[in-house]
Amino acid sequence: MRSRPFWRLPVHALLLLAGLVVVIPFLWITLTAFKERNEVFSLIPQWLPAHPTLQNFWGVLDAMPFWRYYWNTLVVAFGLLGVQLITITLAAYAFARMEFRGRDVLFILLLVQLMIAPQSTAIQNYVTIVNLGLLDTRLAIMAPYLASAFGTFLLRQTFKGIPRELEEAAALDGCGGLRFLLYIAVPLAIPGYLAFALVSLTYHWNEFFWPLVITETNKARTLTLGLGIFAQTAEGAADWTMLMAATLMVIAVPLACFLIFQRRFINSFMQSGLGG
Amino acid sequence: MNRVVQPNARPGVLAGATIVGVPDRLAMRRRVLAAVRPYLYILPTFFFLFIFTHYPILKTFYLSLFKWNLATPKREFVGLANYLQAWSTPLFWQVLQNNVVFAVGTIPISLALALALALLINQRIRGLAIYRAALFYPTLLPMAAAAMIWLWILTPSYGLVNFYGKALGLPDIHWLGHSRLALPALMLVGIWKRLGYYMVIFLAGLQVIPEHLYEAAILEGAGPWKRFWRVTFPLLSPTTFFVAIMAVIDSFQAIDQVYLMTQGGPGNNTNLFIFYIYQNAFRFFDMGYASAVSGILFLILLGLTVLAFRMLHRRVHYA
Repeated sequence: MRSRPFWRLPVHALLLLAGLVVVIPFLWITLTAFKERNEVFSLIPQWLPAHPTLQNFWGVLDAMPFWRYYWNTLVVAFGLLGVQLITITLAAYAFARMEFRGRDVLFILLLVQLMIAPQSTAIQNYVTIVNLGLLDTRLAIMAPYLASAFGTFLLRQTFKGIPRELEEAAALDGCGGLRFLLYIAVPLAIPGYLAFALVSLTYHWNEFFWPLVITETNKARTLTLGLGIFAQTAEGAADWTMLMAATLMVIAVPLACFLIFQRRFINSFMQSGLGG
Repeated sequence: MNRVVQPNARPGVLAGATIVGVPDRLAMRRRVLAAVRPYLYILPTFFFLFIFTHYPILKTFYLSLFKWNLATPKREFVGLANYLQAWSTPLFWQVLQNNVVFAVGTIPISLALALALALLINQRIRGLAIYRAALFYPTLLPMAAAAMIWLWILTPSYGLVNFYGKALGLPDIHWLGHSRLALPALMLVGIWKRLGYYMVIFLAGLQVIPEHLYEAAILEGAGPWKRFWRVTFPLLSPTTFFVAIMAVIDSFQAIDQVYLMTQGGPGNNTNLFIFYIYQNAFRFFDMGYASAVSGILFLILLGLTVLAFRMLHRRVHYA
């Protein structure tokens, strides 16, 4: 909608107010993370650290196996994405461009995954993981998500848009079947893959409940879970500056990526809404 | 694969038309291959889907018919006793009530704010990207991090909220330890975290409303207020409904903030569905009862999601 100049001032004022309210919590914890431990126990708010320090960040590295958590998170998020890209590509291609008996029923059975809360199947999946001997492994954290209805749904839409003539022409040139999929369909669907990748990576970087249920030691634990456990130890609970430093360290990289690729992230999440 | 098979052509026709003089066995093999290929493509997905989605749904309902304590591995069939137990447990009803209060307290505010912000951001103004980033970034954060941030902000005496609350003459409040304020505090975190996400979904809905409708409304002398209620709101209603259902589902999945901020307390006042299931399954090891509660949650969410999908379908037809 076009807006006339005199409308713009209140629009800016309201957006500025809302933006500040949403941003202030982040600003506050960031400043807290650079304060000295006892500085926060002041009855008058001090916004800026009196003696800015990095000691909290070093303290976090001593107090918890931060890099271990980081590595686990990277392995889980990217390893999972790698497998998902294969499963969703094949399934989406079949659902988009092939005809076979039971296709519609199978597609609905796929969508069931979107209709349930993953938490509501956590108990039985826990039993399955125990029976498979995978308790307390990174593979267990990935297992329930190796197939992705959302990803399949998203890619199927993209694959459906590829003109039939293109496929026929490619087939005449000897580029059919799996080769058509790999060399023509997949490159054409790159925006779809990107949207899926961003949503998947964010979701699994952030996930807390399933890793909580399925891990018992620090061997496989991820960052968010490590943060939660740290908050409940005596050290973490008593030391706000260190806890805020740990929080900042957990969110720093995803947040930086978001600030750089803002539009991509927002478009991807818009599509996640459309996909359910 | 040594030759091309049109995925959607009938294999018999293809083989008969193009291959002359090739032994029947080879044609046969191609026919079989063409017929099973789609199934091979969906096999990896359905393999995992069955083990970790379909099977656990069925098994959850099955297990809900047993008394099964993880500590004593013997299962005893008890029929619907676990469901009856839920029915007669006051805590179950309190958890349900907490979840409904949580949903009712979060959703109308989130939706109204998100829609208002989407309308503001949909204007062509400078600095749009900055405003959008500022409002959207909590979506990216882990709920665990959001919980830490708000634990600190809401903390008694030294937290930001109490600093400025006291400046306004309010008493020093222990938000998360207060029987009436703990749940609203969790709602606040939920609103803060999801607002930007709902906003961009509304934004997507606003952007498909055709410009000429507004032009026609202006020609008819409709002011901004009238244009909103006569054009924007009706055309946006499928989006609104869809976001509302999504928000209800979100509210029934809330667990991370409960686990990290209140552990369901004080006095179960913030005990929500998933946390209740977690407690029964992994603290009291009462797997049968926890399965029954999971089953109930599953049915609630299924009903809501089917509704959401039907709305989505309608929205696709609009666009």
